[in-house]
Amino acid sequence: MRRAAAVWAGKATGALSRISRLGGGTTLPGDVARAIDPDVLRKLSRDLAHGAIVITGTNGKTTTARLIGWLLEGAGHSVVSNRAGANLIFGATAAALDRAGANGRLRADWGVFEIDEASLERAVDEIQPRATIVLNLFRDQLDRYGELETIAKKIESALARLPGESRALLNADDPRVAEIGLNLESKPLWFGLDDESVAVHELPHAADARTCPRCGASLLFDAVYVGHDGVYRCPNGDFARPAPELAATNIELNGFDSLGMDVNGVRIELPLGGLYNAYNALAAFATGKALGLDSTFIADRFRTFRAAFGRQERLEAKGRRLNLVLSKNPAGFNETLRTAIDLAGGHFFLIGLNDRRADGTDVSWIWDVDFEHLRGHARVVVPGGNRAADLAVRLKYAGVESAPAESDPGRALDALIEATPEGETAHLLCTYTAMLDLRAELVRRGWAKPYWET
Amino acid sequence: MKFIVGWLYPDLMNIYGDRGNILTLLKRAEWRGYDTRLIELGRGTTNGMAEVDLFFFGGGQDREQALVYEDLLEHKQAPLERAVAAGAGVLAVCGGYQLLGHYYQTGDGERYPGIGLIDVRTEAGKRRFIGDVIVDTNLADLKPSTLVGFENHSGRTFLGPKARPLGRVRAGFGNNGEDHMEGCLQASVVGSYLHGSLLPKNPHLADHLIRTALMRRGVTDLAPLDDSIELAAHEKILARAQR
Repeated sequence: MRRAAAVWAGKATGALSRISRLGGGTTLPGDVARAIDPDVLRKLSRDLAHGAIVITGTNGKTTTARLIGWLLEGAGHSVVSNRAGANLIFGATAAALDRAGANGRLRADWGVFEIDEASLERAVDEIQPRATIVLNLFRDQLDRYGELETIAKKIESALARLPGESRALLNADDPRVAEIGLNLESKPLWFGLDDESVAVHELPHAADARTCPRCGASLLFDAVYVGHDGVYRCPNGDFARPAPELAATNIELNGFDSLGMDVNGVRIELPLGGLYNAYNALAAFATGKALGLDSTFIADRFRTFRAAFGRQERLEAKGRRLNLVLSKNPAGFNETLRTAIDLAGGHFFLIGLNDRRADGTDVSWIWDVDFEHLRGHARVVVPGGNRAADLAVRLKYAGVESAPAESDPGRALDALIEATPEGETAHLLCTYTAMLDLRAELVRRGWAKPYWET
Repeated sequence: MKFIVGWLYPDLMNIYGDRGNILTLLKRAEWRGYDTRLIELGRGTTNGMAEVDLFFFGGGQDREQALVYEDLLEHKQAPLERAVAAGAGVLAVCGGYQLLGHYYQTGDGERYPGIGLIDVRTEAGKRRFIGDVIVDTNLADLKPSTLVGFENHSGRTFLGPKARPLGRVRAGFGNNGEDHMEGCLQASVVGSYLHGSLLPKNPHLADHLIRTALMRRGVTDLAPLDDSIELAAHEKILARAQR
């Protein structure tokens, strides 16, 4: 009874919030329903015919969740999942509510939920997932999350409390994630990359997990792929990257257009670019395999995948191609810069930095991003977002000539379009709410669809 | 002329984007034609410490801070004291600032001795101080007289008689949230809780540090630079706080 009331109240809130254009109604219904029945998500999760999958980690949650949902839907299952960005417990609750019927029951085969690292403990306790994927752990929004160590410990205790039949799928290449997995009682399923040709040999400045958790010695990296993710070992033999059961080899990167790789003898191709997406695809592939899907089916299905809004989203504006890429922390930013410059040959950029709660109110982290990489490649860089002035300083000290700082999204967009010749591609690398602001402006001008329609 | 910056534990004490301080010091000296060099002082190394004009010591996470702790006491303390006695400057932020003091006392009352280079002591607090900070500085040669930054710390730092505060907080918590003071000045050492990074938006403080450190090489004044971009970012924080 209480559950039915909670579901109805939540659903009504969602409908109102959409009608009144407050947004896509992605989290508020969850707030309302949980106030009436705090156990509503636990109850709804039990209704799932096959169970739920939870995805966490600093970067790649949205894309990985979407890939897994895409696989399950392709296999004929109905899937409920939370939308991008609504990854706190309220967002997951709202998603479940949205699909609940008149009797207050959730009608779906699978739940696929991306969950914020800091909310994981409570979320897995309520959702009781069949599989939990941990993608990586990088420094991100220290003012909100606290130190990396705090987050890592929370994830470990969340995983440790899951029943034995619930599977952990972990990135072996991330030393901090590996440490979590090695402490667990039940053996995780490890995935990782094995391809020298896409590796660099030096850690970026903003690498966090660089010491041995046992003896404290600096880890030796035989390969560095993304951030501090790579192939590592302790010089004293106390700790090393676990051997991945699912390893990606022969990786081929084609700008922001596509990537290919072999996973245990199967060729995978995906219409998404960047080495960081190789991890997301591999994690989704590993999940599909763990759920008993056929490798050839997974490979076929990946070919027709479409990314979520703002994740390598392609738009057209006055004859220019715009590529909108969420970039929200040093590890993520370094990868999107590397993809845009080295792989896609980009010359025209808008960098958007906001300091709202969802972005992190401290912008110090921009000094950990290697913007120096733009030097000699970028012909135009427009600093945007409400902290555009800070970005302009950062670019100056990176030796990158930039346009004047422009906090207004519309004017920043005008400056970018004017500086980008027709037929060329401009890359818009933005923090979360800076991306939403720009997107809203793009929607207003008729160049993009509202995000709840993507 | 040479300008040598020594970066203490760049791989482990670097969590809050404090690299901006290093980039700012090096660039501003380079733009004035100095022959700059960066010496990275990781665990186990003391090479080149005697040559350093200005040391930077940033903040780390607890786990990393524990790893550098022994090395600091064992290897870095003596050469650092000698360098400072010879006129080298030091900028220490957050964790680095705490470790240069007499001790850090945890919530359980356990005391970890620091190297006592500055007359400050730090105790763990319950609530974390997080947010923008504006400081009215005590340094006479700074124009503008404000410093802006972002703090994120639970340590409460108190100054002894030999140290004087870097300034008074107009917004934010500062050293301990009680006496409205932020940072410390003692001889050629500057300690602060401000990230942001601190120096990029406070180019006047960067120049103060460079000038002080180069005094022993006979430098008395630095050529002016165009700081309009830096000061626009500085102003933006001041303006926000007024709203």
